[in-house]
Amino acid sequence: MDLKDSVVDHLRHVAGLPDLTSTRYELKSEIGRGGMGVVYLARDRELGRDVALKVLDLPLAGEAQLIAQLEHPSIVPIYEAGTLPDGRAFYAMKLVTGMCLDRCLARRPTLAERLRVIRRVGEALAFAHSRAVIHRDLKPQNVMVGEFGEVYVMDWGVEAVAGTPAFRAPDAVLDQRSDIYSLGAVLQSLLPHSVPPALQAVVAKAMDADPSARYPDVPAFLADIDRFEQGLAVEAWSEPLWHRLRRFGSRNAVLLWLLAAYTFVKFLLFFLRNS
Amino acid sequence: MDNDTAIGGPDGRFPSTQLSLLEATAAGLSSEAMDRVIALYWKPVYRFIRLKFRKSNEDAKDLTQGFFTSALQRELFVRFDPAKASFRTYLRMAVERFAANQHEAERRQKRGGDVEFESVGEQVAASESPEQAFEREWQRQLFSLALDDLRSHCEKHGQQLRLRVFEDYDLADDERPSYAELAVRHGIPETWVTNHLAWARRMLRGFVTERLRGTTSGARELSEEMRRVWI
Repeated sequence: MDLKDSVVDHLRHVAGLPDLTSTRYELKSEIGRGGMGVVYLARDRELGRDVALKVLDLPLAGEAQLIAQLEHPSIVPIYEAGTLPDGRAFYAMKLVTGMCLDRCLARRPTLAERLRVIRRVGEALAFAHSRAVIHRDLKPQNVMVGEFGEVYVMDWGVEAVAGTPAFRAPDAVLDQRSDIYSLGAVLQSLLPHSVPPALQAVVAKAMDADPSARYPDVPAFLADIDRFEQGLAVEAWSEPLWHRLRRFGSRNAVLLWLLAAYTFVKFLLFFLRNS
Repeated sequence: MDNDTAIGGPDGRFPSTQLSLLEATAAGLSSEAMDRVIALYWKPVYRFIRLKFRKSNEDAKDLTQGFFTSALQRELFVRFDPAKASFRTYLRMAVERFAANQHEAERRQKRGGDVEFESVGEQVAASESPEQAFEREWQRQLFSLALDDLRSHCEKHGQQLRLRVFEDYDLADDERPSYAELAVRHGIPETWVTNHLAWARRMLRGFVTERLRGTTSGARELSEEMRRVWI
């Protein structure tokens, strides 16, 4: 006899839940679903604390070990990795409370705050690249901003992940420059409608279709962001003369005002003396 | 306590024994792969044809049979390109083409006269599209086959008690009994009920995975299909 729809749905649910009987964790609820699996809120019975438990769809040797190497303030620490009795890989990690970067935009952060987040993301990425790890699926949904402003980059990728179309580089093979493309795409998604041309140029350079025309590495990208914030010329843009003068003016406004005041007083004194 | 790891070795893990479609084809085992495909897809294909082309029960059966016979002759797997679509989508599109051609031939035979579509009572009531019905039947058949595998396994390894607890709870049509009721019914401690259920669900998941592995092109497609199965 055919299974009823309700029975099929029940089986799809219960057989999909991870069997944690052989672990120290107790399932509490589902937090979310990502490209590679499901993240649950679980209780670590031995240490009496809540953790985020990521259960991958399939056994994927190496992912957790890969991420466990990445000890960085902006990378969620892994507590434990293992394999469930059904063969699925899982890892327990710090439970981060906060909200995803895309939802943070609803609070209308300042440009400086947006750039601060990008810098934190870039620093995490640069660190991972120095350990030969690439993210592969960087997007605002994979960046968490905590209630005290801490920034975490999550869902470090593995081979099977193809990336999210809007943020994925059009590269045949994903490498560090593909992550730079994604970083540029994340920056673009954070920017308000009217953006200074220098910052637009930084985004355009990071997201160039030709990988060799992008920034050679994340520090070079971050250096341009720093230059922009300090009012210096960015590497990504050969600015026209009038723009350079305006930037010079805005960077040296006080000096120019003092100079103007001095000239004005001198001129006034000269005028009074001769009249 | 019976040994629950007979299939999975001492650590209880579920081993992969099934070749993917592409591996089977490369190993010259196309007919075995086709057997697995037919076992999983016969009903979804039948249901799809019945709803999409409004065929009678017998006509839909004939067309389904005809499709799989033709697929065997025309080496369905050789033309399958996993880069373009999942095997399930590829198969459904092949069925649609095949049934449309048959339908056209039938129409020509009747010298241009309109073919009378048979009214199928269930399709009038059905709110889902033929494509959705195909998907639904595929899930139903996938779990039916995995349950058969689980039953065979329990039979073979003397684990009928676990199976009965699982069937009483997870296959219950209406209201599910409580764990305490199940414990009394089977004369076991309540903790055994949860253990038996966890074991059976784990095994079921393993059998579902194996069925999927045998009817997909490889790890990537398998992973995508798994994501569609579990909710």
